[in-house]
Amino acid sequence: MEAWNLIIGNPVLNVLIALSHIFDGSFGLAIIALTIIVRLATWPLNKRQLNSTKALQEMQPKIQELQKKYGKNQQKLQQEMMKLYKEAGVNPLGCLWPMLVQFPIWIALYQAIMRALATTPENLLDLAQRLYSWDIVNQAIPLSSQFLGLDLTQGNIILAIIVGGTMWVQQKMTQAPTVDPRQQSTSRIMLLMMPLMFGFLCLSFPAGLGLYWAVSNMIGIITQYFFTGGWGYLNLRSPLQPTPAKGK
Amino acid sequence: MFVVSSLRAHIMHSQRLRNMVSLEVAGWPPKGLFAVIRSPRVDTIPYLSYIMKRPKVLLLTVTALLPLVLVSCIGVGQAASGWSGPTVQDGIIYVASRDGGVVAVNSSNRDVLWFYEMVTTSGGGLACGPTSAPTAIYGTPIVDGDLVYFGTYSGEVYALSTADGEDIWVYPPKGEGYIGAVVGSPVIANGIIYTSSSDGRVYALNATNGKRKWATDHALADKLWTSPAVVGDTLYISTFDGHIHALSVETGELLDWSFQSEAGFASAPVIYEDTIFLGSFDLYLYAIEIGSNVSMWRFPQEKPAGKWFWASPIVNEGVVYAGCLDGKLYAIEAETGEELWEFDAASPIVTSPVLMDNLLTIADESGTVYVFDVSAEFGDEAVPLRAISIGASVRSSFWAQNGLIYIRGEDNSIYVVDVGRGEIVEGWPLSLASEE
Repeated sequence: MEAWNLIIGNPVLNVLIALSHIFDGSFGLAIIALTIIVRLATWPLNKRQLNSTKALQEMQPKIQELQKKYGKNQQKLQQEMMKLYKEAGVNPLGCLWPMLVQFPIWIALYQAIMRALATTPENLLDLAQRLYSWDIVNQAIPLSSQFLGLDLTQGNIILAIIVGGTMWVQQKMTQAPTVDPRQQSTSRIMLLMMPLMFGFLCLSFPAGLGLYWAVSNMIGIITQYFFTGGWGYLNLRSPLQPTPAKGK
Repeated sequence: MFVVSSLRAHIMHSQRLRNMVSLEVAGWPPKGLFAVIRSPRVDTIPYLSYIMKRPKVLLLTVTALLPLVLVSCIGVGQAASGWSGPTVQDGIIYVASRDGGVVAVNSSNRDVLWFYEMVTTSGGGLACGPTSAPTAIYGTPIVDGDLVYFGTYSGEVYALSTADGEDIWVYPPKGEGYIGAVVGSPVIANGIIYTSSSDGRVYALNATNGKRKWATDHALADKLWTSPAVVGDTLYISTFDGHIHALSVETGELLDWSFQSEAGFASAPVIYEDTIFLGSFDLYLYAIEIGSNVSMWRFPQEKPAGKWFWASPIVNEGVVYAGCLDGKLYAIEAETGEELWEFDAASPIVTSPVLMDNLLTIADESGTVYVFDVSAEFGDEAVPLRAISIGASVRSSFWAQNGLIYIRGEDNSIYVVDVGRGEIVEGWPLSLASEE
């Protein structure tokens, strides 16, 4: 834990507080700026993720063709799909790896927000032990928890809706339709579950974290829009209707 | 860590069910895990196929994974538990316990005379319903006559009978809401209790009946966590946004003079001969002459201290004694701000020093109590005469009386230290569970 704080936790915390001083004490703007910095720093990973998404989107007509053809034989369908992925040089799980790599960064950012806001006297005392002796950091303490009428230490319903909404849009843009009714069901649940869960978490956790999620989602939507060249599957009103399989 | 464990668990589960993913061959961990992630090998697909075909399993996985990861992270935040120090009056120790409330203990036989218990109910966070926790108390109770006064983190000020712990009054009265959290100790002067609050206001309450005499008509800062200081007819309060305000004790109106600093003030103001001494978040201790707009001096004069001057300093015969979170105790010339001597305790000093019969006592977070002879009668004043380990971290203010120091440790125990002899006279837990 000490190594984690030394290498990741404390540097992120001090940069966040220094940014807050640069933005005239606005902790909200510091969170937004740090979110953008983190997004830029992880751009190579995000780019890989977007490449996978884009390639999968381009392959959708072929995949749907396979789904129609082997709808009843799941094993054969999976084999054919894997063959297709191999031929195209696409890893269908390519989006998972970058997400896992970014996980420590998200946790560090989350910890930094929680620590910097120091909502209890114990937290403020703990913060003292983690700060560098930079003037820019110490002059920013303690941080104001107010940002655009939001109390960044409290959960907020409006932010929860924004986070849920932007997460839904981002997922909808990348979620390919399927003809398999069971996968349709899974997709529908996933599409709703994640935004609802993060919305719920926004109500329970400090709004500073919700702000980070909201900005991160918005950046995700924008980069996805420009990188994949449009809104992806967002405009698709309903998944493809399954074609009744005909016996050979 | 949880993500890896979760993935591993699912992979093992998949193995048992279908016996199709041969991870032993691939080598686990970590090679097998990477094999699943990196390679679109056909033999790994049935596992994914399995989970993707079962929305409920997937739902359960996602539902369990995300909150648990986040909840495991929430460990960075510490709940408010309080660090009230003891007050001793007529052989009775009054102190807030971590069980939530104030306890009166006979100092001679440790008998608990009474315990006023308080519980704070709040929204449940991730839980569905409200949760209850012991009410945290940070300020040291004050005793005046037959009443003991204290403020709570839940935003109330209490007056209890010293005889039986009965609540004589509560401000705001029950059912009329709360003020902001009270962190600093209240002070009493001329029958009025003055307290600061996290809502940024200062309140003046009649000590007899708890009726509000006045409250500042607007928030003086985002929040006020420091204690006020009353001198004559003026109340001084320092703020986290770098102000020292002077208020009329009669009306609560802001007086003409105030002081503004670039950095916020971490400690409560201490006033000695028209000069205010207090620590700042910019790693300096300041001396400010009342009425002036510039500081007399700031300490250290060369480079800043290692950490904040969190605790208020004390001043005696022209010397300022200030403990710092960098673990050092500094003795400073009050007139000039020049350092006289320093001592490195090597552990953060969170609480103010106490002076009794030329013996200066400090305690640090490692649980060591140091005693210095400031008269230098017995040698170098910068070298502690005694170093006594009580074995518990100290954050609360302590009480000095008759050669004894009463300390509440962070282990929720009371320690009585004889500073002259340099030994612990007594130590016992405050937990009511252990008393029963």
